[in-house]
Amino acid sequence: RYREVSFGPTVEDRGVEGTRRGGKSLQKVNERLLEKNPAESLLFDVVLIATDSQQQSSRIISSTSHYGLEVGRFCFSSREDLVETLVVNNVQLFLSTDRDEALQVSQKGVLSALLGRQEAPSESLRVMLCGDAIVRPDCDPVPASRGAAQSFSARLGEMRGRFGVSGSPLSIVLVTSSGGSKSCGVALQTLRSRGLSVDEAYCLAGAPRGPILSLLRPHFLLGDGVIDLED
Amino acid sequence: MVKMSLDPVQVKELNVSPSPNGDSRASWEEEEVEEEEEDRLGIATKTKPPKPENAVTVAVSSRVLFRTELEQRVFEQKGVEEYLRYQIEHENEPFAPGPAFPFVKALETVNARLRELYPQSEELFDIVLVTYNHAHVGIRLINTINHHNLFIERFCMTGGSSPIGYLKAWQTNLYLSADADKVREALAEGIAAATMFMTEKLTEVSESQLRVAFDGDAVLFSDESERIFKAHGLDKFFQHEQDNEDTLLDHGPLKGFLEALGKLQKKFYAKGQRLDCPIRTYLVTARSAASSGIRALKTLRAWGLEIDEALFLAGAPKGPMLEKIRPHIYFDDQMFHVEGAAEMGTVAAHVPYGVAQKHNQPQKPGARK
Repeated sequence: RYREVSFGPTVEDRGVEGTRRGGKSLQKVNERLLEKNPAESLLFDVVLIATDSQQQSSRIISSTSHYGLEVGRFCFSSREDLVETLVVNNVQLFLSTDRDEALQVSQKGVLSALLGRQEAPSESLRVMLCGDAIVRPDCDPVPASRGAAQSFSARLGEMRGRFGVSGSPLSIVLVTSSGGSKSCGVALQTLRSRGLSVDEAYCLAGAPRGPILSLLRPHFLLGDGVIDLED
Repeated sequence: MVKMSLDPVQVKELNVSPSPNGDSRASWEEEEVEEEEEDRLGIATKTKPPKPENAVTVAVSSRVLFRTELEQRVFEQKGVEEYLRYQIEHENEPFAPGPAFPFVKALETVNARLRELYPQSEELFDIVLVTYNHAHVGIRLINTINHHNLFIERFCMTGGSSPIGYLKAWQTNLYLSADADKVREALAEGIAAATMFMTEKLTEVSESQLRVAFDGDAVLFSDESERIFKAHGLDKFFQHEQDNEDTLLDHGPLKGFLEALGKLQKKFYAKGQRLDCPIRTYLVTARSAASSGIRALKTLRAWGLEIDEALFLAGAPKGPMLEKIRPHIYFDDQMFHVEGAAEMGTVAAHVPYGVAQKHNQPQKPGARK
């Protein structure tokens, strides 16, 4: 019972760097999980999906191994078939450096997020959750990827629960942008009821996100739709 | 400080883009979140927190806002996992008020008066809870904030990492913590900061007027004169002050905060409320009025800072005077004075700045300048 995380094509150099770091952190989580339980089945399974030509694809594969990214599988797909490829491969989270691509995928119901391009990311995998999405009442139109987001966060919570409070290779960070402290409290309780315990919580209540995000250095940010970390 | 503005061109993603009236709002995919919708679980429209660059931001840690001694003991004796388990178990029990609580309540009183006079203005106090507590304690802290009817809508629970970066991100004007190391870090980054301690005796303070008292040297002013006194004694100190009477003292770490208070005071004066101003500031210094005090006053005047009352004690103990003034907070760089104030029920905060830190032992009163 694996959790599939797949990376989209990495074209720019900076994109590769973000992918590499994200990938390394995901690997670290797997390593630590297996340390605790060699029979662990709740692991990240990384699939690299390339939607460009064959030429580009082989360049991607060689870059990937050059950067030491342990990718389980490679998939070649066309842009048009991307979503189908993801569904067929039971992908639970699609990461990309391409905003349009991530959006397209998200609108079809597959959870998607953009990779951060931070300068000095941490060793541990830092996953940021957007609290505003969690407390937002169910109304029309419900974002297509809402269900995927909820089940992913439950699985993430299971994974996080395998480690103790300190020294975890996985950190869960909650950020609420517009709501006040009450709504952040609701987000914390909702996540807890789904089995996901949060490590850090930041309630911005309308303050600009940029300065805080640049300190938080998440590898990716999950919420409704697709969120850009470059704000 | 430069405000980080967000690119308003993003249309389909979540972003926080400034809307025409200047407030920040998050937009969800193609929808704009209505103010009224936000209000259901968010904050009431008329009491939306101000933008950090417009507000006087006061960051407080959970240990000074509330009393957490019991929980601290659990942490020290039984470790972090047990500590968090304890906190979650007692989640619905609000913490009792801590040393910074009356100060924070007074800030809110000032805000209420400012909102009456200037309903559209964002020049208000903004109180942010900045704690390196783990988010597991979050629900208990939020419950406590609600229980005490505090208006604290912003916080950072860093789960163990240093909160200093967040202080800068919030454009913090004053940081209050129980942790002297964090306070020193903040001072080193140019943020006004002070360490607070819990006292058993607490005199009653005003609920309608915020009173802030400052020591002079090494708090509002630099520690230049303290250095002379420590190195060369009282006579040399007097001589130096006399010779330099017309030279301004350099500024100290709390000067900026006094300045911020002064700006808010002027807003009340502008509406004819000088006598009824809900902010009052005090200088409580061991300098004497006849001699060394003149330089202090000239400096303040040159800085364009008004202080409501200047108390020159000429070396007399500060405790009794503070007990008369009843400030919500008193800033001093010497632990001796902080302790003396606490003994008489005044909430005193230690500013670990300047040469006095190397000599931070209680001294005989009267052997001071």
